[in-house]
Amino acid sequence: MSKSEHKSGELAISVQHLGLVYKTTIDRRPTLKARVRTLGRGTKHTRIVHALDDVMLDVPYGSVLGVVGANGAGKSTLMRVISGILPPSHGRVEVYGKVSTLLALGVGFNPSLSGRENVQLGGLAAGMSRRDIEDHFEEIADFAELGDAIDAPMRTYSSGMFARLGFSVAVTVRPDILIVDEALSTGDAKFKEKSLNKIKELRSEDRALVLVSHGLGTIREVCNEVAWLHKGKLIQRGEPNKIVDAYEKFLKVGKSAAIDEDV
Amino acid sequence: MKPVPVEVYEPFKAGLPPLRRYWRLLWARRAFISEYSRSELHEKHFDSVFGQVWLILNPLLLSGVYFLLIVIIGGQSDKFRYGHLTASLFLFYFVANSMTAGSKSVVKGQKLILNTAFPRIMLPISAAYISFIRFLPTVLVFFVIRTAMGFPFGWAMLWAIPVAAITGILALGLSILISCANVYFRDIGSFLPYFSRTWLYLSPILYEVSALKPKLRSIEAFNPLFPILDSWSRSIVRNEAPQAASLLQGLAWALGILLVGTYFFLSRERDFAVRV
Repeated sequence: MSKSEHKSGELAISVQHLGLVYKTTIDRRPTLKARVRTLGRGTKHTRIVHALDDVMLDVPYGSVLGVVGANGAGKSTLMRVISGILPPSHGRVEVYGKVSTLLALGVGFNPSLSGRENVQLGGLAAGMSRRDIEDHFEEIADFAELGDAIDAPMRTYSSGMFARLGFSVAVTVRPDILIVDEALSTGDAKFKEKSLNKIKELRSEDRALVLVSHGLGTIREVCNEVAWLHKGKLIQRGEPNKIVDAYEKFLKVGKSAAIDEDV
Repeated sequence: MKPVPVEVYEPFKAGLPPLRRYWRLLWARRAFISEYSRSELHEKHFDSVFGQVWLILNPLLLSGVYFLLIVIIGGQSDKFRYGHLTASLFLFYFVANSMTAGSKSVVKGQKLILNTAFPRIMLPISAAYISFIRFLPTVLVFFVIRTAMGFPFGWAMLWAIPVAAITGILALGLSILISCANVYFRDIGSFLPYFSRTWLYLSPILYEVSALKPKLRSIEAFNPLFPILDSWSRSIVRNEAPQAASLLQGLAWALGILLVGTYFFLSRERDFAVRV
């Protein structure tokens, strides 16, 4: 976990003509039985989903990109492609640095283990080494403000405690690039404030951040740039206040000629 | 100067990912594999009163049931038969448990798969590893049994180690193969108990190879466990060296299944995130 060596302004993420089309099963649970039963009848078991369409984005180091959009706009999908979870169908994504993702809280946590053991597990899942985790354990525990509960099994945690520990682990990985999807909306007001400050602090350390949020206030406050996605397409990107205003207006109106022209 | 990207994601073609890189990533996550397996074991065994004792108690009770069946009810005084049965059964359960755990591994790791990038093959590997950890105490139990029954000790017993290693390769291969298949056909999990029960009867466990009718010997050629169990029983029960042909045949099966399973898994795993 060396200090970030990237200079502000250098390219962190470059998304070029990104498209993602995937086949997904229609059946809730794909089974052999269903396959055999419909054999020869030409029934389709998969459908095609166009999740992203020709998205272009650059994120330089030292900046925070906010991503806004209605449900199903492809925000989470975009984050998954950038973090290497989903392979793109078209285009190319280049990532210049170590990525840490916070797409869902407490991934890899096992509720029957104590918070302490889960920090190990979650840290290893995020790609830290055992040593790194030991060295930073105090920091993680302090930030999560769990007190003695750190040694209690995680199934006894409230959802806020769970979220706090998940957030602490993700930000302590010290990534070059941090991708946060809706994680700030959990926890009480005090922790929200604290995590927001942490995000700002990471920003000042010449990292690159991508923040997906429905909290438009947060987006206005911390981002340098905002991208607005709708139905897999990049509608607008630019200065936060301008884009968020346009997005808010769109939410109120519900429809906009510019967006729906070719949908 | 333009910096070199650390990661490039492009549309993938069918086939395998770059293997050397994949191996490096997998190796870097080895601590996670062991920690993940440990947490699964913990979850399974620490919730009950006996906790870890179950790992020993379980095979002990199982062998007790067969002792009742063969020695007491069956009136068989052939202690080797009982020894053969327990030893073989323990080895069989290693493979069967690995299959069952493997079949669930990828679907169970759904949340991890959707939210973290890591070599997915880790999940069935850790399933096989857990089965191996659960297999170890059964070996211990068998040693207590064979000492109590006065089976011969000797150097030929050491052959059990390479045999167990071959079984490990087979268990790993099956875990990987089935975990991948289960993503596409979720009901494989429901077939598995019947499949492994049939496999149990088609393997020389309840009987010894020498007791099999010549007509039925042809199943030997299609059952990977046949040569393995024969070698296992010879070495660990009777303190005899296994036949080289059996060992090689078992090894060929195990490596074959591992290769096929790994090929399917690696060429499919990038699709998992949208399928689970």
